[in-house]
Amino acid sequence: MVIQVLLLCGLIIFSGLAILFKDLLKAALSLAVASLFLGIVFFRLNAPYAGVFEISVVAGLITVLFILTIALTKKDGEVEDSKLVKVAFPLFFIIFLIIDGLVMKSLLLKVPTLPSGPETGSFGEVLWKQRTFDLVAQIGVILAGVLAVLVLFRKKEDDKDE
Amino acid sequence: MILSFIVIPLSIAALLPLIGKFSKKLIPDLLTNAALAFLLLNSILLVKPILNQEAIIQNVNWFGEKINLQVALDGFNLFMLFTISLVSLCISLFSIDYLEHYGHKAGFYALLLVMIAGMNGLVLVPDLFSIYLFLEVAAISSYALVAFGLGYDELEASFKYLMLSVVASAFVLLSITIIFGMTGSLSFQAVAQGLQDLNARYVIGVCAAFFIMGFGLKAALVPFHAWLPDAHPSAPAPISAMLSGLLIKVSGIYALFRITFSVFGVTPLLSQVLMALGTVSMVVAALLALGQKDIKRMLAYSSISQVGYVVLGLALGTPLGIAGGLFHLFNHAVAKGLLFLNSGSIQHITGTRNLEELGGLGKRVPITAGTNLVGALSIAGVPPLAGFWSKLIIIIALIQAKQLGYALVAILASILTLWYYLLIQRKAFFGKISEKWSKIKEAPFWMSAANIILALICILVGVFFTPLFKTWISPAAQALARGIQQVLMWGI
Repeated sequence: MVIQVLLLCGLIIFSGLAILFKDLLKAALSLAVASLFLGIVFFRLNAPYAGVFEISVVAGLITVLFILTIALTKKDGEVEDSKLVKVAFPLFFIIFLIIDGLVMKSLLLKVPTLPSGPETGSFGEVLWKQRTFDLVAQIGVILAGVLAVLVLFRKKEDDKDE
Repeated sequence: MILSFIVIPLSIAALLPLIGKFSKKLIPDLLTNAALAFLLLNSILLVKPILNQEAIIQNVNWFGEKINLQVALDGFNLFMLFTISLVSLCISLFSIDYLEHYGHKAGFYALLLVMIAGMNGLVLVPDLFSIYLFLEVAAISSYALVAFGLGYDELEASFKYLMLSVVASAFVLLSITIIFGMTGSLSFQAVAQGLQDLNARYVIGVCAAFFIMGFGLKAALVPFHAWLPDAHPSAPAPISAMLSGLLIKVSGIYALFRITFSVFGVTPLLSQVLMALGTVSMVVAALLALGQKDIKRMLAYSSISQVGYVVLGLALGTPLGIAGGLFHLFNHAVAKGLLFLNSGSIQHITGTRNLEELGGLGKRVPITAGTNLVGALSIAGVPPLAGFWSKLIIIIALIQAKQLGYALVAILASILTLWYYLLIQRKAFFGKISEKWSKIKEAPFWMSAANIILALICILVGVFFTPLFKTWISPAAQALARGIQQVLMWGI
């Protein structure tokens, strides 16, 4: 229970940091750490599928794409500090908690579910033997992201004919 | 092999940036077109096995080790694969000459192939989460392709498209999450069986609503259409053709109807909601198209309107309605692909897409004008072109199902369609030619060739529609009409 609470606190802190950091690189890394915490929470709750998706897609793939894009972006555009974000985020979070507490719990209890055994298997087994197609699709997502960065940040001299 | 529809485009896309370092034009042109021609041939060769077996389930081993690369092919997704391969091959042929002034061909083709792999993957996977992932593969490459020109309008349109597409993906993912929570599974078959056992009508209704919002945004159905009239005209012409001809149909229509028919099982209420959305799209977008001056913007609104016909036919749920809807999906993919490519030819020739500035081009560019006329008349539903038969089948199906109101609206919307397409003809190709267009020349060879091929398909499908209907449309319609029985019999 204590570990679970610590993990959730870590998740919230790093999610908040991802929004509040002015430095894009730090924000992207905070988001990756937050996703890692969430992935571990999923694993601890016997949901390795969700854990695999979270860690491989959000913590892994999306972070790589963010860092690639940030690395290719020039430093000429200063990001203005928005006070709205500082106010809006905590406000949104509080409203979300209230709605969650009042509505979601009772609603979710009414949703019928099939009895199912806990998912089994290590990270590798789940990803490789059960969700192989998702791995192929993730390769496609990475490829699309990398190609998008290459094409959209291309230099004019690349366009010269052979 | 069925997996080649995903593996070949992805592999070539990975190689193209490297190949582009030493050959900027020839090898990327050859490789991309050869790959797409192979996929088209592959889809044609798969017809016979599908006609014999109704469905093919293929699993791949990785050097003897069992992995889960399972694809399910039936009449419906084979029909989609054929449509994707055919139209994207013509688009790729058109790009050979069209991309000369853009440059960076290897990058363009690589993204185009990733988009095609994404669409093929989406069509082949029998799993809800994999559908979502392949949806994202196609979507990410399409955002980059819309912005390919790097102009202000392109970047703005791409950003708008990205923002609304993310909302669509969120709705789809939310629905998948609820279904996974209820059934503990993601495969079509297990989910279909699980939802039958649970008999949770209201929760399924909520999930269906989320799917309609998500896939409706992807398909640009009214009222979820705001992104399309900006994104499609801003993209380079081949990408506009891909988006309007294929992507909105695969990531919107295919995904929505595969899930609602084969996983949820369509209910009368769901059918009525979808029919209403289709009809509203058909009429509202046709009225909006009438006021446009930019050819591509007019075509974009026309796409929304024609998708409305497809949705109306499919949502009717009768075998004839489904067949009509699918036939119109194919006809619209071909004709709208043709018209968007043709608008690229017009822009290439004159440097403008504004109908007010054009006029009398038909005398100087007969191939562009002739192919445009064929595409326009086909979509408007003029006999004996392909679009006439599909619209006729949809209207007959509506009358048979005693949906006379919908049938009447479909006929009236068809008249509106003819009206705005004749406006294009009159303003761009007929009348007195302006002095500044007196020295224009016909579009380059590959651009004209792609237009001619697509125009010929519109004519030949219209004249010989029976064999095409029996070979492609009927098995697809039967697969969809079977409802959840279709995925339950896959035995995955």
